This record gives sequence, C-alpha cells and structure tokens, in this order.
Amino acid sequence: MSDDGIRRALEQVPLPDEVGAAERAWRLVDAAFESREPVRWTRSHRGLVLALAAAALATAVVLVAVLTPPGQAVVDRFRDAVGREPSEPALTRLPAPGRLLVLSSDGPWIVHEDGSKRLLGDYDDASWSPRGLFVVATRGRQLVALDSESGEPRWSLSRAEPVRDPRWSGGGLDTRIAYRAGDTLHVVAGDGSPDEVVADGVASIAPAWKPDSHVLAYADASGRVHVVDVDSRRELWHTGTLKQVRELAFFGNRLVVSTASRVIVSRLGKQIPFLHLPPGHVLLDTLLVPFGGVLYADYDPRTDSTALFSSDCTVAGACALMPDTRRFEGPGRIGNLIMSPDTSWIAAGWPAADQFLFFRRIPHRLGKVDAVSNVTGEFSPGGETGGIFPVITGWAP
Amino acid sequence: MAGAGRDERAWVRGAQAGSASDLEALFRQFWPGAYRAAYLVVHDGAAAEDIAQEAFLSAIRALDTFDRRRPFGPWLHRIVVNRAIDWTRARTLRHEVGDEQLAVTPARANAPTDELGEGTMAALASLSPDHRAVVVLRYVLDYSPGEIADLLELPRGTVNSRLRRGLDALQEHVTEEKP
Repeated sequence: MSDDGIRRALEQVPLPDEVGAAERAWRLVDAAFESREPVRWTRSHRGLVLALAAAALATAVVLVAVLTPPGQAVVDRFRDAVGREPSEPALTRLPAPGRLLVLSSDGPWIVHEDGSKRLLGDYDDASWSPRGLFVVATRGRQLVALDSESGEPRWSLSRAEPVRDPRWSGGGLDTRIAYRAGDTLHVVAGDGSPDEVVADGVASIAPAWKPDSHVLAYADASGRVHVVDVDSRRELWHTGTLKQVRELAFFGNRLVVSTASRVIVSRLGKQIPFLHLPPGHVLLDTLLVPFGGVLYADYDPRTDSTALFSSDCTVAGACALMPDTRRFEGPGRIGNLIMSPDTSWIAAGWPAADQFLFFRRIPHRLGKVDAVSNVTGEFSPGGETGGIFPVITGWAP
Repeated sequence: MAGAGRDERAWVRGAQAGSASDLEALFRQFWPGAYRAAYLVVHDGAAAEDIAQEAFLSAIRALDTFDRRRPFGPWLHRIVVNRAIDWTRARTLRHEVGDEQLAVTPARANAPTDELGEGTMAALASLSPDHRAVVVLRYVLDYSPGEIADLLELPRGTVNSRLRRGLDALQEHVTEEKP
C-alpha cells in the first residue's frame, strides 16, 4: 500500500459525533477565551514592569515585617492568593440557577438565585430533599422535615440522643431519610414513618445514599464502611478498616471514601487507592466532577495554606498520567466544595478570608472566580463579631 | 506541514489582540486534525474529545506568551499526541494489573463503524501508542520524520523504525480486508 493509500485509510476512519464534538469544543474554547485576561504590555516593557513590581513587592514585604503586628501578616498573605478576584461585598445573586442551603450559627438559610434569603429557624443541621422541595433539619434531639418554600414543619420526631447528619434520598414519593442519633444510625420514610434502626456503633460522620435508591453507606466506629440495602436490611458489602474516614459519597455504583489524607474508591467492596496527599498534608474536601475528574482541597499545616487541585482522574479510572494541576491557593483552610445543579459552577468556603468563592467550571480547569466577602456577618445579622463561618450544605434546583 | 503559513500567524496575532474571529479561524483550522489524531491514538471518542479540548484550552491559557514566530500547529499537536499517548498507556497499565474497576469508560455506544474504518483501527490497535502516534503524525498531520523526531524528542532512527512497523501493520490489516 502506498503512502497515499495509508493517508486515505486514516482519513476515512469515521470519528464519533464529529460535528457535535467540534461544536462542544468550540463553545468551551470560546468561553475560555472570553474569560481570559490578556496581557496587554509588550515584551520589551514586560521586564521593566516585572522589575518594578518585584521592587515594590520587596519594599512592601519589608514594611509589613517592620511596621505591622504579626496578625497583619495573615491579611497580607491574601494578596498572594493565586487566581483570586476582587470580591463582592455581599451575596447579591447566585452565579447559577438554583438555591443554596447555608448553615450558620443562627440556623439554616435558603438563598435564592436573586440573592434573597430566608432563615428557616433555630436548627443545628440541615440538608435538601432530593428535588429540593423539602429540607430536613435537626434541633437537639429532634428531626424536622420543613417545606422549603414556606419553612413550615411538615412533621417531626424525637429521639433520646442528639440527632445529627440527616441525609435524604430516593426518587418520587418513596423517599428515605438517614440520620444519626448518638452512635445509632436510623432510617425513616420521607413522610415520617416508620423509623428503624439500621446500625449501632456508627462513626460521627454523615451517611451517604446511592442516588435515587435505598442503598446507604455508613462508617462504623472502627473505620469500616458498610453498604446496606435499607429495605431488605441486607448488607451488600463492606470495606476493610480505614483510618480517619471523613466523608462518604456515591458516584454511580462507586463509593468514594475520603480520609484525612487520601481518597479511596470502592466498588462491591474492592478498594482502589485513588488519591494520596503528600505526608503531613490534610485533605479538606473532595468533589467529583462529571466528565471532569476530581477537585480536591489540600491543606498544608506547615504553611497554613490550602491549594485546590484538579486531577485528571475520573472515578471510572480514566486517569491521564499528568500531574495534578493547582487551580487556586490561599492562606488558611478552603473547603466545603459544592457543585451547582447544572454543574457549571463550584462553590467553596474560605473562612480565613470570610468569603464564599464561586468558580466557573470549564472541563479540566476552573475558570473565573466570583468571591463574596463578609459572609459570616451576612448570615448572622445582629450577631456578635466573631461568629461562626457558615457552611454551604447543598445547592438544589 | 499542515496549518503552517501566513494565515496561521495572522490568526495567532489577532487572537492575542483579542479577536474572537481569529481564534475561531485557528480553531476551525486545527480542530479536525487534533480530534482525529487523538481518536486514532486512543480509540475512544470521549477521551479523544477531552484530549483535543484540553489542548485548545492549554493554547488559550498560553496565548499571551506564545511566540508568534513559531508555528501554532506543531505546538498544539505535540500536546495532543503526548496526552493521547499518556492516556493510552494509563489504560494499558491498568489492564495489565487486572483491576477490573479501573477499566476505562467504554467508548460511546454510537461510535461509528464501517469495514474500512474497522480494519484501519484494528491495525492501529495492534501497535503501541508510541507507534500509533508516529503514524498519525506522519500520515494524518503530514509531518516529516525529522519534524516528528523534534516534536516527540526522539532520535530520527526511532521515528523511522516506528513508521516502518506501523506501515507493516496497516498494510497487513487493510489489504486483508480488500483481497
């Protein structure tokens, strides 16, 4: 076969959805181009500008070191945050459709797309129902289902032990709520009955539902993670003992277990080491991004700073052999990664800066950042200075 | 070499100055080859789309620092082909360790097939990703063996031997299906 014959053969291989792939890619490239900030200065000026900037920075560092108290140094480190944008003084709108559920020291708030928000009441913990029609909240020893529009309680139940970590799952009308009462794991139907004990001796972390199912994962006090069908009360599988389990989440059939320093993916009980942080680092949060790998928050106690990394790995195992990419960095702890319902934005909490961060999501990277400041005060109106930084517990349609 | 020329440099210059139409011209010029090259190396439509997309997004990120005197195509193709090789190696490695849970997401169910394409793909599949990359750079993106050696940072002799092996495989499979 001639060279031309080889060329023709390769050119004639049909490509999957050739036109659609090109259009999808063009939309992304165009969006990335629009969101970029071009460097305007010319090559000949760049050296001078950089030299002046370096000199100014060196001067500023010396002045800070000499003239300011140690606490001020933390504030100045914010200026070094990679990719940080000027912040909005208040949460006046959400960047994507949907509603945020934010838990503050005053209780859970629902924040609408236009920035309006309403306090649901004096509750300790809260999470959305699967479609966002209801909120399940806890107050002391009480579990309460609330109408998300009116905030009115639909039903409630009480237990002898403090109730924590309510999680609602299931599709249609046949829903279930899992929660912990002390070290006992309970499951109750979405209408408040019946309530059953699923397990004793569970760890102090939230259980996780497999989406649109009645399959539940929980960790026991020894660090073993169990996956159970709550309808049949049958254990489907369990993992070996894991140290410092922090978070459980399902991604399709796969269970993702985050510990203090690593992420493990399990399927049918078989564990796949997926991500391991450098020694001494702490994994603050992990977010699985559909078709886009994993975003994780890596806290380095030695520098007291957090870097958000994206990994090209997907839970299906399609890792490119590329180093993980640093997307954002700032002093203190950054975590609480939550994805918008349309998957176009990712929210994060940054307590040291008193900010919520909203990252526009582009496949394999984070785009522009919208930062909102003063969130502690915003969710504790009339509260005393030094309130607790609020936590985003969900982003519902 | 594909894509080289005055137009290409003008589009890069325009895109650097903020022209979306010049960026689109660059994209339309180079996307088909990038996507085809990635697909012929990885044999997975979704992965190929991701790889080519990421190459273009890398180009956007580096646009301001890109040296206009250099051709855009080789720079983009180097990213595409190296990422495609890495992706395929990763998949192969996982298959070798026999971990079924690490199996790569299968190609889209609607991936097109026809006899000619199947034969060519089977021939490529019999090659290592490094060999496939060399064949794709030579016969899809029209680089000379010397340019391929520069792009992949390989000795010229290695490129030639990989091309020879690739040609043998393609001729064997493709001629078999057309007796």
